Amino acid sequence: MKKGYLGVDVGSISTKGVIIDSDNNIIAEDYLWTEGNPVVAVKQLLKNLLVKTRNKDLLVVAVGTTGSARKLVGTILNAQVIKNEITAQAIGTLELYPEVRTIFEIGGQDSKIILIENGIIVDYAMNTLCAAGTGSFLSSQAKRLGMHPEDFGKWAIRSKKPTKIAARCTVFAESDLVHKAQIGHKKEDIIAGLCRSVVLNFLNNVGKGKNIKPPIVFQGGVSKNIGVVKAFADITGEEIKVHKYGHLTGAFGVALLAKRANDEHCFDFNFVNMHFETKGIECMKCPNNCEIICVYKNNKIIDSWGNRCDNGAVLKQ
Amino acid sequence: MAKLDIIGIPRALLYYKYRYLWECFFKELGCHILLSPETNKEIMDQGINHSIDESCLSAKIYMGHIYAIINQVDYIFVPRFCNFARQETVCTKFNALYDIVRNTFPHKEVLHYNVDVLKRNGELKGFIKMGLALKKNFFLIVKAYIKAKLKQKHHDKLAHKQQADLINNESCLKMLIVAHPYNRYDKLVGFPIIKYLMENNIMPVYADIVDHKVARQRSLNISKTLHWTYSKELIGAIDYYQDKIDGIIFISTFPCGPDSLVNELCLRKIKYVPMLNLVLDELQGEAGLHTRLESFIDIIKIRKNKQEAVS
Repeated sequence: MKKGYLGVDVGSISTKGVIIDSDNNIIAEDYLWTEGNPVVAVKQLLKNLLVKTRNKDLLVVAVGTTGSARKLVGTILNAQVIKNEITAQAIGTLELYPEVRTIFEIGGQDSKIILIENGIIVDYAMNTLCAAGTGSFLSSQAKRLGMHPEDFGKWAIRSKKPTKIAARCTVFAESDLVHKAQIGHKKEDIIAGLCRSVVLNFLNNVGKGKNIKPPIVFQGGVSKNIGVVKAFADITGEEIKVHKYGHLTGAFGVALLAKRANDEHCFDFNFVNMHFETKGIECMKCPNNCEIICVYKNNKIIDSWGNRCDNGAVLKQ
Repeated sequence: MAKLDIIGIPRALLYYKYRYLWECFFKELGCHILLSPETNKEIMDQGINHSIDESCLSAKIYMGHIYAIINQVDYIFVPRFCNFARQETVCTKFNALYDIVRNTFPHKEVLHYNVDVLKRNGELKGFIKMGLALKKNFFLIVKAYIKAKLKQKHHDKLAHKQQADLINNESCLKMLIVAHPYNRYDKLVGFPIIKYLMENNIMPVYADIVDHKVARQRSLNISKTLHWTYSKELIGAIDYYQDKIDGIIFISTFPCGPDSLVNELCLRKIKYVPMLNLVLDELQGEAGLHTRLESFIDIIKIRKNKQEAVS
């Protein structure tokens, strides 16, 4: 029986999972929409992974979680490693491209840049409050143009002269886009212009003041859009590497971390049949009134968080 | 015997810098002090209600502290700071605070002292005026001021010595916290960050605990043109502690004017150490904060391990 290591990356838009073997090869992977319910998404993800590994005589011995729902999912899966997505993605990318210096990552709601020197992270930046120039920006603009975000790339690379679109803010971009369409710009030029504006936005906001050095790896859901990849290459003047598992590096990285944690115990896929529930309660014990999240497994509380002080600690009853 | 005057001191902004001076002075004059409680969500919400939107979060919290105690005191204590010398000014917030409080809460008498050295209003003169307003004896006032001033100095020195001892004796990772005292001590603003660091076995080194005179001098190594005294003291501390720390975290509150300039300046000029800039506002979610802190700590730990492996 072979040992396997599971990495789960639960993002705002999509949920990703990989199982690797002891030689760090990806044996099974899956990708689906989170749709605002990380617990349901992870259950579905594990069902799919179980089907894909059924005939491979595999025993999952360690689990790692990352992404914005890492704590919730990590608690439910009883994960050995719960790691932030920046570290996880850097570890995953370094395994695929050991020589990488700069990582661009654009996901559903966040975008980040990670700088690497001699195989270690030296600096990073993330978008803060604004989601302009991320995947959700592109998909909402796609809707406005009446097309699927998946077709965006094909249209964009047809363009010879991308339209200039004000992309500082989604609201302005949208009105500018309508205006440009109404005065007669071609659809492919507008789409290429949008891809370009995503890149400019990224380099001016997240990449501001950072020393971008090749080799550059581009990943996250938006890296599947060849229009954005081309725009990155045009603007930086460098080759942009995109791996076929580029959307999975977070999950891959955290699987590697789970493997390195050296704390192996058999993972029970029976989890998909258990009943999980979360409840939010208001503490009411002091003016802070913290919102505490309690996680229940088969109606028994297994963990809670959100309290600022010990007054709000929920007893495990 | 006449009833003791109750003086309300808001536990916010410059309280954290001058607490011993203020508390000792009023106690020596025989006044009773009521200190507002630690910041909580209710105080912050009331502060937001009693401020204009453009105020910085720290100033909004200050207004909340005043609201929390204003009906239980005879005087509310709000000093005015303008400058300490030429090219030694403070954020305009501290110039305006006295007037803002007086106009927001017009029914309460505001006790104040004015530090505007360029207009010949020094600290001693301000304290004497304030003591006389409380109808105290002139000599008692001067005596109280001197005692309070010495006490403040003693505590500043003590804190500096304790921090220096900790830096020398502890072998764990050390993070310099560059933040105004009113941000880093605040229960809602700075405390969750400090707590998170300590839970992860990282020792916070505070940039505000330093010999201020030395720090103002050393700030010239980073910038020669700054004129905010409190900012000079903070960035001078970066230069002072530079070879003893593994990383720097800047904490500021949105939309702080001086910090937005000074922190950006440091981020561009300082090259030898990893830095993280955290700007907090009233909408801050803890999740984003933890992701940033956690990954920053990872970077520092990996870097440290590599360095040790090489040497």
